[in-house]
Amino acid sequence: MNSKELNKWWSKASSKYSIYIVLVAMFVVCSVISPVFLSTKNITNISRQISITTIIAFGETLLIICGLIDLSAGSVLALSGVLSVAAYKMTGSMQIAVLVGITVGVFCNAINGMLVTKFKTPPFIATLAMQTAARGAALLYTNGQNIYQIGEYKALGQNSIGIIPIPVIFMIGTTMITWYILNHTKFGRHLYAVGGSEEAARASGVNNNRTKMTAYLINGLFVGIAGVLFMSRVNAGLPNGGIGAEFEAMTSAIIGGTSFSGGIGTAMGTLAGAFIMGFVNNIMNLVGVQSYMQQIVKGIIIALAVVYDIRSKNKRDKKKQGNINDKLTDADGKNKALAAR
Amino acid sequence: MDLAMPKLELRNIEKSFPGVKALGNVNFSVKKGTVHVLCGENGAGKSTLMKIINGIYQPDKGQILIDGEEVKINNPIEARKNGISMIFQELNYIPEITIEQSMFLGNEPTNKFGKIDWKKIRSETLRLLQQENLNYNPTTQLKDLTISDIQMLEILKAVSYGSDIIIMDEPTSAITRNEVEILFGKIAELKAKGVSIIYISHKMEEIFRIADEITVLRDGVMIDTKPTHELTIDKVIALMVGREMSNIYPKEEVAIGETILEIKNLTNRPTFSDVNFHIRKGEIVGFAGLMGAGRSEVARAIFGLDEFSSGQIFIKGKEVKINKVTDSINHGMVMLSEDRKRYGIIGVRGVRENVALSKLEKFIYKGRLHTKDENAIVAEICKRMNVKTPSLETSIDSLSGGNQQKVMLARWMLCDPEILILDEPTRGIDVGAKYEIYKLITELAEEERSIIMISSELPELIGMCDRIYVMAGGKITGELETHEFTQENIMKLATKG
Amino acid sequence: MKSIKKLMAVMMSAMLALSLSVGCAPTNQTSAGGEAPKAAAEDSKPAEEGQKTYRIAYIARAQSDSFAAWLANAVKDEVAAKYKDVTVDIFDGESKNEVIASHIENAVTNKYDCILLQPYDSEAQVAPAMEAMDAGVQVVTVNNRINDNDRAGAIDADPVEQAAKNAELALSQIPQNGKVVVLMGPAGNMHSDKRRIGWQQGFFDKRPDVKILDEQIANWNKDEAMRFMEDWIQTYGEIDAIISMNDNMAVGALEAAKAAGMTNILSYGVDGTAEACLAIEAGEMTSTTLQSAYALAEEAVKLAYEMMTGKGERRTVLVDCPLITKENAKEYIELHKKAGNLK
Repeated sequence: MNSKELNKWWSKASSKYSIYIVLVAMFVVCSVISPVFLSTKNITNISRQISITTIIAFGETLLIICGLIDLSAGSVLALSGVLSVAAYKMTGSMQIAVLVGITVGVFCNAINGMLVTKFKTPPFIATLAMQTAARGAALLYTNGQNIYQIGEYKALGQNSIGIIPIPVIFMIGTTMITWYILNHTKFGRHLYAVGGSEEAARASGVNNNRTKMTAYLINGLFVGIAGVLFMSRVNAGLPNGGIGAEFEAMTSAIIGGTSFSGGIGTAMGTLAGAFIMGFVNNIMNLVGVQSYMQQIVKGIIIALAVVYDIRSKNKRDKKKQGNINDKLTDADGKNKALAAR
Repeated sequence: MDLAMPKLELRNIEKSFPGVKALGNVNFSVKKGTVHVLCGENGAGKSTLMKIINGIYQPDKGQILIDGEEVKINNPIEARKNGISMIFQELNYIPEITIEQSMFLGNEPTNKFGKIDWKKIRSETLRLLQQENLNYNPTTQLKDLTISDIQMLEILKAVSYGSDIIIMDEPTSAITRNEVEILFGKIAELKAKGVSIIYISHKMEEIFRIADEITVLRDGVMIDTKPTHELTIDKVIALMVGREMSNIYPKEEVAIGETILEIKNLTNRPTFSDVNFHIRKGEIVGFAGLMGAGRSEVARAIFGLDEFSSGQIFIKGKEVKINKVTDSINHGMVMLSEDRKRYGIIGVRGVRENVALSKLEKFIYKGRLHTKDENAIVAEICKRMNVKTPSLETSIDSLSGGNQQKVMLARWMLCDPEILILDEPTRGIDVGAKYEIYKLITELAEEERSIIMISSELPELIGMCDRIYVMAGGKITGELETHEFTQENIMKLATKG
Repeated sequence: MKSIKKLMAVMMSAMLALSLSVGCAPTNQTSAGGEAPKAAAEDSKPAEEGQKTYRIAYIARAQSDSFAAWLANAVKDEVAAKYKDVTVDIFDGESKNEVIASHIENAVTNKYDCILLQPYDSEAQVAPAMEAMDAGVQVVTVNNRINDNDRAGAIDADPVEQAAKNAELALSQIPQNGKVVVLMGPAGNMHSDKRRIGWQQGFFDKRPDVKILDEQIANWNKDEAMRFMEDWIQTYGEIDAIISMNDNMAVGALEAAKAAGMTNILSYGVDGTAEACLAIEAGEMTSTTLQSAYALAEEAVKLAYEMMTGKGERRTVLVDCPLITKENAKEYIELHKKAGNLK
């Protein structure tokens, strides 16, 4: 391989795998900055800290790929969490508690999906409404008070199997589910197609509404699981839990290369994005960066991720320019585009 | 002023777009106070020429003269300053604003503080309406008006700018017969006032009613300009289509089998009504017609993309219900859309995913989509379709138009269809790729597949089809067998009604 | 318009469905009430014939804040239990100064006799409160005060003192050259800042040997405090005490410490929440001070009643904030049980 080929290979590899390169670079830098960073305990900590956000991030990834969004994740997390805690206190059965959590998550997202597909509400508005309503319902049920003394409910969020914390096992599980969906199912392909071009997907025989609805239902499953894990981890039923969780989750997805313009995103990218955010949060605490400074740093990272997304989109658009000739030969036959000016 | 001097004159105008020569050496002149009709097939260069006059495009070569003086027109605003206004085929208007607001949109009179002078707008609007004998209330919102009303207002606007050259691009395509009469009345009035009108139309009867002179364009070249009384409808059509047929169509004789698809009384008013046709095994059936004749709309309805109000679809003699695209695919019928960018490609995704999208079931077994199989089969089919791409993962919008079209064909071939509806299959692709697509179509017919080919390029239909239906105004106006295939015959049917 | 109506109808029914499913669950319905946080303006019960009914508008800082919600419930219970000729309507300030201001203005327009205000900001609420008093409506502030030169009645617990009581205990408990971490509420929050002052004056100024390893904002949140503590344990290893500006964060940090096997770490909070009382009784947490919603509510309604009926003058009352340690935790657990916060 001569140097030119090597250059070409590198530019291709670096754009395709840029997120993983950043991840590895951060890992190395963090290890140098702080001696405790590399310890097994710290890595387990980071994994556990990001696990709940990451589970939600997979739901957001599926939705954003499909051109949708869920702003209600944090509120639905709280609602499914407190209802799950309540179910546990009533029955003493963890199975029932988990089932209740998941059911509530799926139910709320069924409403989201229905608003979007049946009533053609913009996803942003529909889920914003759910954000308010679900939070209200969680507060109403708990009367604004935290639920305490939840006994062995906490085991799920706090215990480990071997050295791996249970929430991390759930995170790995949802990673695998998401990866499988996106790579090895018809539904996954339909997500990309609908997000890439809704009309083209329909003309290719994709049932757009069913695809969107399914995306919301799976998101609901993930949010429900996250709700149970969250309450279990904090050892209480917090109706105010998870405020803004959807934005942290979306941040992970976007950093991981999911594009807000739809049709692009991967499970592994989101996982990498979540780890990058986890590393940043962790290293700043390890070296004792001041609170306000931490916010600035996180803001910069998000801005960089979005700028990167937009720049790579512009690159794609430039490639399209190569085909502009076609459009112009069309122009005479069908001059809509120009007449519209 | 010398009466012999034309109001507007174009000399040796040339215009190329990357890879295509749209206009070559066009000479064109319009006399004061006359109606000059410009006609030609789709793609003959009419719109490009009009856009040059209106300043939307700039010519590569040549001069534009108004009243004998050369002018440069860099944009529509400068065109307006030179007394040129254009009334577009598809009117663009803001439905919520009122007549008086629209009259002065972007040109509002203001007082010295920059406040809009509504009083002046009202009085000016009323004056103009009165002057042109139009009975509208200045505060009516545009959404409450008909297309014809809005057209009138556009003309009024043109008059208010003091335009003495008005371009009308197919003004009668969306209005009723009575409204056409009103429009023609208005045109006569304008003529009497010395306004020159350039009128673009396909409709022969219309042309011969109002034209003083007729210019025919073909393939970007001006064929002839003659006073109307020296021409007949047949002569004009002959001028429009008179290109040599070349043997670029690799048509093969195929044994034609029994009827496979039959459409009965398909109706969805006002776009199309009472459409009846059939197609047999191994047959290539063409659909000719002008833009807006309803061909694509019929195809979309059959394919399950749009709804229709009544009618029946029979496949192999059995009535089928097609409510969505998958129904159609399951019955072995697929459609290549005329608008590839919108209804075809998933731009950001790769070639492999684009090809496999409609038949993913093929690779799913044991509960899993096997990408290895997918890769192998997609690669094979792309090879057959002669798709040129760096890799199967390359995003499709970085391919050329011809290759995108071949990928779309590959997508449908994966479904192994019996009936293929191809809507403008060669639009926007270069000559070499066109030939490849014709070849593929021929091969498909040889494999006993049936093909419906919608095209605005008559030579293509004549060269490829076994039978041609012609549509106009949402109805089938005729069916032609091979021996009746002439461009004149088709154009006659296409301009009917 | 039609689609908006449709959307609203759907959302309303969705919320109804949710609240029904919630309402059916046979738990947690206590005397504290299952009322919706935003009270309808007119749910007053009819007063006895011929007698004047006094109307109080209670404007809560935010019904989504668990202490504020507890206080609102306590006020409601207090009125219902002791004052037959008083009705109270609850309004949600949503943690927004402009919302609180408009609630105050509306209360004046609706001719309430008294506005019971839980201020969100000591400055922002001054002007609307002054206007209300000028219009002849009595104003009593509770659980925070406004800078109005003692014009409105005021019931408060002193946040500096709340912290100082814990600090005093810590003076003797935290070892020489001890290492501590500090958890703060949201940036600029009055209670968080004042409590921090209490700790500064009562402890850090007197114990220069103690080292603050790190000090971070955990926004009153349990989960955020947990995350900080986990990272601190990694970085610093040994930590002697958690000094937290509220109980939620203290318990959260303690959760992380327990998971790391640090069983004899000291931890101090403020608020006296049910969870903290339980942790103290179990010997996990060290101490907290009670900010009793009951005491605040009792005094506030009493003062409001006196001012409305003209039986008393405005005054400032600071309610007691008892220190809760292992010795007396049981007593406060009973209190929470009574309040329905524990079952």
